[in-house]
Amino acid sequence: MPLRLVQLLLAAYPSSYRERYGAEMAAVLEERMASWRDLLDLARGALDARLDPQIDPPRVLAAAAAIPPASAPSPALPVPRAPYGVVASAPPTGELSRRVFMRRMLAAGVGLLSLEFIAGTLAFTWPQVRSGLGGKFGLGTPADILAIQPSWAEGWPYPYTKARLFLINVPAAKELALGHQASVKSPSADQLLALWRKCPHLGCQIPQLCESLKRFTCNCHQSTYNILGEKLKTGPAARGMDRFEVSIGDDGGIVVDSSKVTAGAPNLGPDALTFKDPFPWDAACH
Amino acid sequence: MPDDQRTGDLGRFAEPALLVLVSLSAGPKHGYAIMTDVESFSGSALGPGTLYAVLARLERRGLIEPLGPEDRRRPYRLTTEGAAALAVQLDEMGRFVRTARSRQLDAAS
Repeated sequence: MPLRLVQLLLAAYPSSYRERYGAEMAAVLEERMASWRDLLDLARGALDARLDPQIDPPRVLAAAAAIPPASAPSPALPVPRAPYGVVASAPPTGELSRRVFMRRMLAAGVGLLSLEFIAGTLAFTWPQVRSGLGGKFGLGTPADILAIQPSWAEGWPYPYTKARLFLINVPAAKELALGHQASVKSPSADQLLALWRKCPHLGCQIPQLCESLKRFTCNCHQSTYNILGEKLKTGPAARGMDRFEVSIGDDGGIVVDSSKVTAGAPNLGPDALTFKDPFPWDAACH
Repeated sequence: MPDDQRTGDLGRFAEPALLVLVSLSAGPKHGYAIMTDVESFSGSALGPGTLYAVLARLERRGLIEPLGPEDRRRPYRLTTEGAAALAVQLDEMGRFVRTARSRQLDAAS
């Protein structure tokens, strides 16, 4: 039997309790081969004794009380009419003793705390965000976009702020960067590019194309990208702009899934670009 | 008398307290003897922590009293108050059992 454990549990009782009952409890535990259930019971008893030590006030008081007052005739023993299962009398009706109150408050506090803990843990198993950045966005049909921004047909990126992206009409955009006039009014899904406006360097929001070069330049550190979001020479960013997955639904609406992100291509020099505009590799907007 | 001494509700100790009172009604016993006795007549085991929680409560309420220690063990015996309280409780239970039985018979007939 784990004797150490028994001693430890006995030591957990309040000292007044140990003084009064410690020796006999130890004797009982020696006589009885204490089981694990007994140890559990002992731990519970210790906790109980801590909360409500049922030890008499000092013996002096008890001795004084033992002398019956001469004058008062001792009344007949008041026998409590206890309900079933209760041995002693009930507390005065309607009154909550300090001890009971404290105990209930403690129990309520512990209960509340564990409830919070359990709720917090369970909250992690809840479904992920399905709206806002990280969810799917319907941008409308190409016609809807053209109604808002007619220059999209000529290749100007369409800024969609809710998902912090530029929707690029690729064939038109290439023409724009080359200095040509284009009009592409209904590009197919693979001719669309959703560029995340978060600069891959430190996350600043990338502004609209500059007029002069038709390139994107981040205001923070001048990281410069071509119209398809590929990183050019200027600026510290280590890769091109990241892209969201784009598809066209059955109703012809453009859908961007912002939970599916493709990282931009790494910087591999001018020869690795899929598209070259007519300006020098190291030119940046000013 | 301090208030909590009268605050009588024994809560979860009510049932083990009854078992201990019944055990002591057959004569004084020390802790271990109470445990084995209760186990033999009721079949339900009484853990040491519960036993002493109950003994402390009963002693405080004056329903039992400790006798002089024998070696390290200390016998307890029922006080007159304890015997009276036990009698009242057993009467109540007897009435309860009779009522329940008669209802059972009514339902059967």
